[in-house]
Amino acid sequence: MKSGLKVGIVIGVVVLVIALLLGGSYNSLVVKSEEVDNKFSDIKVQLERRKDLIPNLVNTVKGYVTHENEVIDKVTSAREKLASANSLEDMANANNELTSALNNLFVIVENYPDLKANTNFIQLQDELAGTENRIAVSRKDYNDAVSSYNKTVKSFPKNILASMFGFEKKEYFEASEGTDEVPNVSFE
Amino acid sequence: MKYQTFHLNRINYLILIFLSIVFIPNVKAIVNPTSNFYVNDYANILSNETEEYILNKSVLLNNVDGTQIVVVTVKNLDGLSIEDYALELFRNFKIGDKEKNNGLLLLLALEEREFRVEVGYGLEGILPDGKTGRFQDEYIIPYLTNDNFDEGIKNGYDAFYSEIVKLNNLDLEYTEPKGNSSNDGPLILISITVGIILGALTRVSNKKGEITSIYFIIFLVLFFIIPLYAHLLIINILAFIITVFIDPSLIFYTSFYGGSSGGSFGGFTGGGGSSGGGGSSRHF
Repeated sequence: MKSGLKVGIVIGVVVLVIALLLGGSYNSLVVKSEEVDNKFSDIKVQLERRKDLIPNLVNTVKGYVTHENEVIDKVTSAREKLASANSLEDMANANNELTSALNNLFVIVENYPDLKANTNFIQLQDELAGTENRIAVSRKDYNDAVSSYNKTVKSFPKNILASMFGFEKKEYFEASEGTDEVPNVSFE
Repeated sequence: MKYQTFHLNRINYLILIFLSIVFIPNVKAIVNPTSNFYVNDYANILSNETEEYILNKSVLLNNVDGTQIVVVTVKNLDGLSIEDYALELFRNFKIGDKEKNNGLLLLLALEEREFRVEVGYGLEGILPDGKTGRFQDEYIIPYLTNDNFDEGIKNGYDAFYSEIVKLNNLDLEYTEPKGNSSNDGPLILISITVGIILGALTRVSNKKGEITSIYFIIFLVLFFIIPLYAHLLIINILAFIITVFIDPSLIFYTSFYGGSSGGSFGGFTGGGGSSGGGGSSRHF
C-alpha cells in the first residue's frame, strides 16, 4: 500500500516533468514560428508602402528635374523589380537596389533648390525616410525572431520535437552582397 | 539560534545568484526614464516651468485615453543614429498604451544637434511621417537653430498635443477607467500566499509525499485547463516547492528581488506601448 503510493508519486512527477517539457517546447516552437511570420508580414507591408510612394515622388521630381532621365528611370525600374519580387532574397535585393537608386536621385536634387524647398517634396521625402526606417526596424525585428526561432529548432530537446512536427530553419532577410553599394554618379 | 534560519545553504545561494542574474539591470547607452517619465531633461536645457508644463499636460492626456507624450533631451547619442536611439528608447520606456500603442516621443540630441519625433503604431494614422516633419519645420526647428531649445520644445510639444487632442476627439475632462492591465499584481500576491500556506501545511504534516503528489496532479490539471493563468500557477507551485523542500525564508528574498526590479514606485511609467520606427528626423 505504502510502496504503491510512492511508486505512484514517482510516476506522477516523471509524467509531470515530461508533460511540462514537451508541452512547453511545442508551444514555444509554435509561438516563435508565428512571431517570425508576423514580422515578415510587417516587412511586406512596409515594402508595399515604399513601392506606393515612388510614383508620387518621381512625378514631383520630374516637374523640376528635366535632364536626369537616367537616374529617374533607375528608380522606376528598381521599383518594378521590387513589385515583382517573390522570394525573400529577391525582395531584399530589390529593396537595396531601390535604396541606392533613391540615394542617387537625392544627390541630384541637391542641385535644385526650388525642388528641395517644395513642401510636397519635403513631405514625400519624410514619408520615404520614415518608411525606410520602418523597413530597417521590421527587418531587424524579423531577423531577431528568425535567430531566436532557429536556435530553438536546433537546441536539444526541442530539435527532436521540431523534426517530428516539421519545423524547419527559417531564412534571414538579407540582401546578397554588393547590392547595397551606391554606384558613383558623375557630374560632367 | 533564531538567526539560524537566515543562514543560507548552498542551494539557496545558487538560487539567489540565479535571481540576481535574471533581475540585473541591463546597462546600455540609452538613458533610463526619470521618475517624471514624461519629461527627461538629461541635456539640462529645459526650464523648470516648461518641465512642469509638459508633465502636467502629459499626465492629463494619459488619464484621458492612455496617450503618452514623452520629451527626452540627451547630451549625445553615444555613437548611435538618432533613429536607432529613438527606437530603443521608445521601446525601453514603453511609451503609450500596451493595446493602443499611442505613444509619442520628442527626442533632442544636443551635441549632434538632431531632433526626432518618433510615433507609436497607434498614432501613425493621425501623425504620418510627412506631417511630423512639417510640424518640426514649422514649430520646432526655427527655435532650435537659434539655440532657443526651451521655447522650441514647448512650442512643438503644444503643436503635437493639440493635434492629437483634435484629431482623436479627446475630451480632456474625461478620465478613462483603469483597465485590467495592473490587475495581475494582487493575483500574483494571492498566488504566492496560497503557495506558501499550502507549502507550510504540507511541511508540518506527516503525509508530505501524499499531499505533494495530490497538489502536483491538481496543478497539472489546472495547467492544461486554464493556460491563461499558467504564470500564476507556476508562481504558485514555485512558492509551494520552495516552502516545502527548501526554505520558506527564501520567499522573502524572492519577493525582495521581484519588488526591487519593479522600478520606481510613485513615479509615472510607460504603458507598454511600442513603435515600429515611424516619425521623422531633422538636423538643426
